[in-house]
Amino acid sequence: MKFNWKIGGEAGFGIMTSGLVFSKIATRSGYHIFDYAEYPSLIRGGHNTYEVVVSNDEITAQKWEIDLLVCLNKETFDLHKYRIHEKTIVIFDPEVFEFEYPCVKAPIGFTKIKKEEKIDQMMVNTIAVGASIAVLGGELSVFENIIHQQFDKKGAEVINFNLKLAKIGFEEAKKSTVQLDILKKKDVTQPKMVVTGNEAFSLATMGADCRYYAAYPMTPASSVLQILAAWQYKNKMVVRHPEDEISVINSALGASYAGARSAVGTSGGGFALMVEGISYAGIAEIPIVVFLSMRPGPATGMPTWTEQGDLLFATHAGHGEFQIIVLAPGDPEEMVDLTLKAFDLADIYQTAVIVVSDKFLSESHKSVMKEEIDKKLQNHTIDRGKITIDTRQSPYLRYKHEDDGISEMLIPGKKGVYYQANSYEHGEDSHTTENSEERIKQVDKRNTKTQTYFKNHFVQPKIFGELKEASIVIISWGANKGPIIEAQKMLTNQKTAYIHFTHVYPIPQEPIKQLFSRCDGKRMILVENNSHGQFGQLLRMQTGIEIKEKLLKYDGRPIWPEEIRNYITGGSSSKKTHERFNGIKSKVQDDINTNERIKVNKENIKTQQEEDILYKLEKFAAVTNN
Amino acid sequence: MSDITFDGYAPTWCPGCGDWGIRVGIKTALEQLGYDPSTIFLSFDIGCSGNMNDFLNGYAAHGLHGRAIPTAVGMKTAHHEMKTIVIGGDGGIYGEGGNHFIHACRGNHDITVIVHDNMVYGLTTGQVAPTAKQGFKSKSTPRGIIEIPVNPLALAISQGATFVSQGFAGDVRSLIEIMKAAISHKGFSLVNILQPCVTFNKINTYQYFLKNTHKLKEDYKPNDKKMALMKSMEVLEEKFPIGILYKEDKAAYHERIPQLETPLVSRQRYADFEPFTSEFV
Repeated sequence: MKFNWKIGGEAGFGIMTSGLVFSKIATRSGYHIFDYAEYPSLIRGGHNTYEVVVSNDEITAQKWEIDLLVCLNKETFDLHKYRIHEKTIVIFDPEVFEFEYPCVKAPIGFTKIKKEEKIDQMMVNTIAVGASIAVLGGELSVFENIIHQQFDKKGAEVINFNLKLAKIGFEEAKKSTVQLDILKKKDVTQPKMVVTGNEAFSLATMGADCRYYAAYPMTPASSVLQILAAWQYKNKMVVRHPEDEISVINSALGASYAGARSAVGTSGGGFALMVEGISYAGIAEIPIVVFLSMRPGPATGMPTWTEQGDLLFATHAGHGEFQIIVLAPGDPEEMVDLTLKAFDLADIYQTAVIVVSDKFLSESHKSVMKEEIDKKLQNHTIDRGKITIDTRQSPYLRYKHEDDGISEMLIPGKKGVYYQANSYEHGEDSHTTENSEERIKQVDKRNTKTQTYFKNHFVQPKIFGELKEASIVIISWGANKGPIIEAQKMLTNQKTAYIHFTHVYPIPQEPIKQLFSRCDGKRMILVENNSHGQFGQLLRMQTGIEIKEKLLKYDGRPIWPEEIRNYITGGSSSKKTHERFNGIKSKVQDDINTNERIKVNKENIKTQQEEDILYKLEKFAAVTNN
Repeated sequence: MSDITFDGYAPTWCPGCGDWGIRVGIKTALEQLGYDPSTIFLSFDIGCSGNMNDFLNGYAAHGLHGRAIPTAVGMKTAHHEMKTIVIGGDGGIYGEGGNHFIHACRGNHDITVIVHDNMVYGLTTGQVAPTAKQGFKSKSTPRGIIEIPVNPLALAISQGATFVSQGFAGDVRSLIEIMKAAISHKGFSLVNILQPCVTFNKINTYQYFLKNTHKLKEDYKPNDKKMALMKSMEVLEEKFPIGILYKEDKAAYHERIPQLETPLVSRQRYADFEPFTSEFV
């Protein structure tokens, strides 16, 4: 069972909150979820949507067809009707709009309730969620518990009012003829968490004993800053929001040099500002973890949408020659694993480790078993490599030549010792040098780290499906993992295997060539959410392997499992998704078509917003007059 | 007593450069205050001033141009028991790193920022610096700089620095006293040091500074912000006050972070994760 619930309305309607609440209702009722929100880079007035796929089993991507559509305005129906089918239930307010379309109508008098209860548009969400639960056969008590928790600090009045609205929505929908058992309450023995990639990164950052986190707000990485900032007084991390990304990275390098595990987070534009700092980490051999959550560029690009467009930029960040490590998790569980590992690798190799995410992974929620995450965090032992608070060396040589390329790094403070984190080329004792032999030795020392990493810490890609039996092999990385796995489940007539790279840079040539030699004669498809096939280029650069057939998507939207399925069953030539997407009407095209509609609807939006504001002002005036 | 000293390699500065006097000033101030190289953090900028990294010992970062202040802020935050000093030039601190300067003042970070202000870029062989007088001719401004100079003292005072002072590299004796006061101050302290560049600045020479500097009077009270701002404006008439212009006692940045009771580097690992994972159920 895969059931897709979707809610849509104006930005400022509280769509995000109600979406997350719906996800938690589903997980607390015993189901798995995967959700995704879309919103433009505006505070109010744009179109926001939130969709949640509910499933009995673990689910890792969105579902194309919408099974229940909650329309808080007409636009929601207009924009998404091409994804509904004959059995789709549409919750709408007949006072706002009417329509004729092959689907199941579930009218709810939102406007009427709004007037009766004297509430503003934000509160309509609560009614809508209550109505959704009724239609899907869920228990209202699950929602009520969440309301109690959510408004705990706001007092009994707020709680009771929300409980009342939830019940009104629930009972209103009970009158409707549609009744499903999608959310029928199951016994929950193992609690599930509902987490995004950013939340998983935040948890693992704490688990890895990171003590200094700095960031300048930038979508889609900002939530990490907010989460860690809120937690810092409890877990004792220091979380800062400095004046710019340059200050962010340099302060983190300062803190790391002083001995505290440090990390920074940003998206492409902010990362561009940090790049000189990455280079400093390279030569001065300072550990640093960089969280890079990608969005479509160049420049400001499409701030609230998704793309894997910065992989080559990340792997080549920093002028000069030195080794950085780039890890790319595909889901929240991998995010926890690889983030914990990233902090160890940064310390062990005394260099920058970049954890690459994108808006899709950073902001979509997935249900994960709480016990699994707890175990990952609790069982993690910290490996700081050759970082030490004491040294037996005399004199102490910070950049001593070692066979593995890694020198002992003393945390400053030991009496009788001093040294520099020098951004100039330096000798073993850290003093500046321009001597030719010293230069060669230091370059070789730093380069040796790559071989040490291959030997000790590189991890081969994971393979989903049986590579031996598969006739079709998909190669990809990062957040495409979820949609590809769901596509594999749909492709029941074809034997497929998916090679999922997480340790994307650097990649050792021989072991990967051996792996790919097992794919001879099979149809190989590179799937990426960018237009250059960047991982394909990276793979070719590092191993000589070229994957000719590519499925590339770069419209700012994540790849749908259905797109992959249709592509694979539809032909064999490389295509961009929007040229190839025949089975289902192209969403991209539809978005273009709806631009006109959005323009027209702006008038309505204004009226609705104005209505709300006027209502609030009236309420305020009433209070002050009394 | 430790047997290590502040003396690193022999300096490579030009004979007669003001940097020599500044190095002696910093070193003597630190020695007289009882510090040794293991008890201080130094954050060097890039330039002739930053090249002191090899001539003055300490636990040091010789980082990126313009970024000595944020690097020092990170060092201090991670290990606030270490005395932290930034050493840079007018280009790095007021030009490339001007934004960091403003915000470090605002934060009252407990760091001492020592700026070599010679109105010119020495290491890149003679381009104009942001503190140069309007009209100053240089390799990058052959017909004279169009911009007016940055006023470091007024900028620091107005942005919340709690110790603002100016010294002259030709008067090492008073420089030592200013530095001792700056280093001992808790909070953001600025020591702007007027300094001739004997190679690339033929205008702002020793003679120029002897003529245009004056020591603050003995009865000058540095606790008056408006008076300090007025004093700092005298540079518009090419009058450069020497001494401590402004000083106030205020909690430093790290003192306002409750989780920094013990230094960040030396506290125990936090390991009670369950209350955090529970938030997501």
